[in-house]
Amino acid sequence: MADTEVRIVLKGRKIIGGRAEGEALTSKMPLMGWGCVNEKLGFVTERNHPLYEIPFKGKVLVFPEPRGSGGFNAYGATRRYNTNPAAFIYRQGFSLTVLAAMIMKVPTITDFDRDPVEVIETGDYVYVNGDEGIVEVVKKKK
Amino acid sequence: MYLNDGEKRILDGSKGYIAQKCMKFLVDYGEAAGAQRLVDIDGTVDIHPGLKTTWVSDYEITLTEIKELAARGEKFKVPTIGNKPIEPAFIVDGWQNCGTYPSSDPEHHKKCLENIKPLIQMGMVPILSCTYYLVSSYLPTAGQHCSWGESSAVPWANAILGARANHDGCFQSAYLGKIPAYDMHLSENRVATILVECETKLETDMDYDLFGWAVGEAVGIQVPAITNIGKPTWSQIVKMNSGLNTGGQVRMYHVPGLTPEAPTLEAAFNKTSCKHKIGIGRGDLKRIYDMLNYASNENVDFVFLGCPHYNIQEIQKVARLLDGKKCKSALWVMTNPISYQVAERMGYAATIERAGGILMSGACPGILRGEMPPASVMATDAAKQNYYMTGHVYPRALDTWYGTTEDCIDAAVTGKWQGGWR
Repeated sequence: MADTEVRIVLKGRKIIGGRAEGEALTSKMPLMGWGCVNEKLGFVTERNHPLYEIPFKGKVLVFPEPRGSGGFNAYGATRRYNTNPAAFIYRQGFSLTVLAAMIMKVPTITDFDRDPVEVIETGDYVYVNGDEGIVEVVKKKK
Repeated sequence: MYLNDGEKRILDGSKGYIAQKCMKFLVDYGEAAGAQRLVDIDGTVDIHPGLKTTWVSDYEITLTEIKELAARGEKFKVPTIGNKPIEPAFIVDGWQNCGTYPSSDPEHHKKCLENIKPLIQMGMVPILSCTYYLVSSYLPTAGQHCSWGESSAVPWANAILGARANHDGCFQSAYLGKIPAYDMHLSENRVATILVECETKLETDMDYDLFGWAVGEAVGIQVPAITNIGKPTWSQIVKMNSGLNTGGQVRMYHVPGLTPEAPTLEAAFNKTSCKHKIGIGRGDLKRIYDMLNYASNENVDFVFLGCPHYNIQEIQKVARLLDGKKCKSALWVMTNPISYQVAERMGYAATIERAGGILMSGACPGILRGEMPPASVMATDAAKQNYYMTGHVYPRALDTWYGTTEDCIDAAVTGKWQGGWR
């Protein structure tokens, strides 16, 4: 039987518009800033974190929520060092994620009809339409 | 987003270029956040003084622009408090003998003070501490809208005072006295959605630090109603808030009988039914304690105390523990500049200095981006400072011990970590 491509569409709320696509990098654990992400190197430096030292440049970064310090804006600062993800996708956030997204200026969507952390796995290919708040996920072949 | 006529006039530039630039930020931020409107701040704003008092660089108000405003006699519209300085961070008091660079450089210190002068001219009260709310001599009251900018402080506004604050304090909100009305400004977002029952007796300051972390980790960004936590001291509430916002991001919570929006448990849930309930026990605290003891080398080079910045009772405790002793390890004890002066008057700064430690104010190794005495093994009584520090010094390896203040002082004096779960 031929492989059939599995596509899933998620609808959320736009934070930052624009279009992007790329491979997903998903964290089930919240992300935190202030030394727990290195904006110059473009990866998580939080000890015990599943994304520790995994570069997120060009990836569609998917995570549940922020935690910790207002230094979360270091995610935004990745833009300055050209290490930023292609898009920012999260289940739920507030000022920490909004301000980081405004600095990062990549398509950013939240408040989805389904939990993006459950639906999108690392390695899935993701099309992000920030203007419409739509994410299309092409599941990786198993 | 809806704007009233006055706000529209600021946005169209009728009130000047800087006001327009500030309003543009508030509107773009509000729209990104999904806010329907702006709210007039009737409480307080806190900003991190330094070269960057704005969150998003596209909307930056430069030091030159702030100097121009100050020279014209312009003032912040609402009571504005200076948090710990950042960009750059600097040690406010006690830096002279710290031995680290650039903090020990008099020129650096002078320049940092110069940078924040125009903000002070505009009316920013230079408390210069992350625990500004303990000593600022002016705080918002219940229901007042604020714009704060310190993760460990935001629950002091929301939960302890019943004021309404998101984590967005900045030059723009202070200058215009407005902020997007969303999240914690709206009553419906302040209602408890999860019940957290403490299943152990919280006694020490460390218990509250660990309990806060455990709750934060369990509830994430939800609003918990927390029960059975006894009668925490102010030191313990500060520690709990810090833990809540390291293990998670709890900007609002209720403790029936303690926090003003929850005279009862029913009030915390606003009569909605409580759908989720969890318990936090001694085992949870032990698990986090073990996770924080990210160390194997018992030879401690550096002890850091004062995250969040110590209050006077905590300094007193340290001074009494150190009295007549000599430290083998480097010791920094960090407080806010107001409590620093009180501690000097009480002789505690001298006691700490005689023991070989330094009392300081206004910063921490974290906000100094890992600047600390040469160390490969550090000990601290703060879960927050402990956890972030390994990232701040990345890729350098750092052992970080965690324990009670007593364990940390013992480590400073003996040079050995002898703490343990008791």
